[in-house]
Amino acid sequence: MTASTRNYIVRRILLLFPLLVGLSVVVFAMIHLAPGDPADAFVSESSVDPTVIAQIHKNLGLDKPLPVQYGIWLARVARLNFGTAYTFNQTPVTTLIGQHLLATVELQAVAFVLALLVSLPLGIVSAKRQYSLLDNLATGGAFLGLSLPDFWLALLLQLFFAVNLGWLPASTSGQDTHGIHRIPYFVMPAIVLAVPIIAIFTRFMRSSMLEVIKQDYITTARSKGLAEQRITYRHALKNAILPMVTVVGNQLPRLLGGAVIVETVFAWPGLGLLGYQSILQRDYPVILALTLLTGAFILIVNVFVDILYALLDPRIAF
Amino acid sequence: MSATDSQQVEAARSEWARRAAAAAALDLAHTATPPRSQAQIVWRNFKRNRFAVAGGSVVLLLYLVAIFATQIAPQNYAAFNPGQPLQPPSAAHWFGTDRQTRDIFSRVIVGSRVSLSVGFVAVALIMLIGVSLGALAGYFGGLVDNAIMRFTDIMLAIPGLFLLITAAALFAPGLRTTMVVIGLTSWMGAARLVRGEVLRVKAQDFVLAARALGAPSRWIIVRHILPNVLAVIIVEGTLWLSYAILLESALSFLGLGAQPPTPSWGGMLADGRVDMQLAWWETVFPGLAIFLTVFCFNLVGDGLRDAFDPRQRRS
Repeated sequence: MTASTRNYIVRRILLLFPLLVGLSVVVFAMIHLAPGDPADAFVSESSVDPTVIAQIHKNLGLDKPLPVQYGIWLARVARLNFGTAYTFNQTPVTTLIGQHLLATVELQAVAFVLALLVSLPLGIVSAKRQYSLLDNLATGGAFLGLSLPDFWLALLLQLFFAVNLGWLPASTSGQDTHGIHRIPYFVMPAIVLAVPIIAIFTRFMRSSMLEVIKQDYITTARSKGLAEQRITYRHALKNAILPMVTVVGNQLPRLLGGAVIVETVFAWPGLGLLGYQSILQRDYPVILALTLLTGAFILIVNVFVDILYALLDPRIAF
Repeated sequence: MSATDSQQVEAARSEWARRAAAAAALDLAHTATPPRSQAQIVWRNFKRNRFAVAGGSVVLLLYLVAIFATQIAPQNYAAFNPGQPLQPPSAAHWFGTDRQTRDIFSRVIVGSRVSLSVGFVAVALIMLIGVSLGALAGYFGGLVDNAIMRFTDIMLAIPGLFLLITAAALFAPGLRTTMVVIGLTSWMGAARLVRGEVLRVKAQDFVLAARALGAPSRWIIVRHILPNVLAVIIVEGTLWLSYAILLESALSFLGLGAQPPTPSWGGMLADGRVDMQLAWWETVFPGLAIFLTVFCFNLVGDGLRDAFDPRQRRS
């Protein structure tokens, strides 16, 4: 590792802290400056007594000025204490998130692996046989995949495989079942999450591979009489797959965003469903925690991806 | 800045303004018989792309349908057909009826208005915010650039749909909220794109020349940089349009977009989800409308991208 690379890595990590603080300000401001009263969650429409509402505000600390609320909140958040939810039986937010985290991670991981398993080989073969029938199908399919609304795809799969054929369970993550019995529950949600990502990865893998096989060192390898297989998988692939690191990192927010739709449609008990429910109920502590944690997670992953790329590709100068 | 300094700047500016006027007059004289404009070249390239032309034709047709929706729809979108709930597709009701006995075909036709108008306004907002911020960041550089781009990074870190539904739920749901919220949460890609493009154009000689002549920043941005950035914005704008339509449908599907009785494709899908066991047509047709619209906008956007810059064609 050269000194400039080390400098770059240190700078990239240091930049993370102002970004995280900025994120907390943006998230806090967005939610607290918007109209809509969280006290509504506690009182029924009929009993709108101003003193009751004032009391609720006081209990929740909503009567204090915004900067003070932010300071109190940030001090607690720094210790990973997000308070208790307004709804959900007033469970502590950290507990709520802990209960929903695993389901999301499981589903996202399955979808991600599925996407890579399909798109990498497809992209490579498409590039090797440019303009072949397979290439045209893959390119066309990727284009269709990018235009397909995920919620509609989810409904169509449910309609066909759950309602009409009865092959797959229509919803939930099968949290009460174990081992091999859980697999059917993953099929539809994982496909819906994976489709747009497969489309993006395939397109990118293909063009990256096309770029690399045009280069001189591949011609050299060929002129040495190396087998085509060996050239593709040993020489070309190594360089072609490098930029994928960035693309894969960039797709994370999309994957997490897709969780809201997919988990809502399939009643998958993960963070996406939790987020949707808490948004409908204006459950500020849960919304704040989820937005902040996903945002922070993605900022950290971005740094990680940048560093990984710098380490993997020594050609890049900083 | 001392008085003489500002006088000098003033003198340089007026000198520059005089020359700019003279140059414009000269320009006008020379362009009486223009060679082939960029627009003509783009149009020629675009016409050669069969898929793009087909997509573009469908998009035009969709706008016509939206404009004349109430004339085309066989029934009022809110009209009931007593005693005919959840009827399958037939000659009388091409796309069947919903639980409230309304004609789904009519609702899909009128629903095009929601999607297309929300898409249009949202993209206008995306352009306004994204282009302004991107141009400022790219042109001024330094601290301004840093502040704007770090803010962009932060907004990009929050998963798009999450940001969108949070914002949508916090305001009173409805069409206007949907437009504004999509615009306010989707400008980041535009800002990054425009910034990059401005940096590229800024480094070119004619901009340096204009600055050396004393042209003010505002003039350079509006007259020299933006026209050059425009091509990129038009191409990407078509793709943002399809993205905005997808987002609007997703919001309406989640119950946070257009509110009943306004017929929106996403909202109809939400109804279809409830009646899935009984009425497949309620799920299939509104979704097909979304898919077709998004698909055709993407075809046009892709075709435009290739037409503007054949070198960058996705080989």
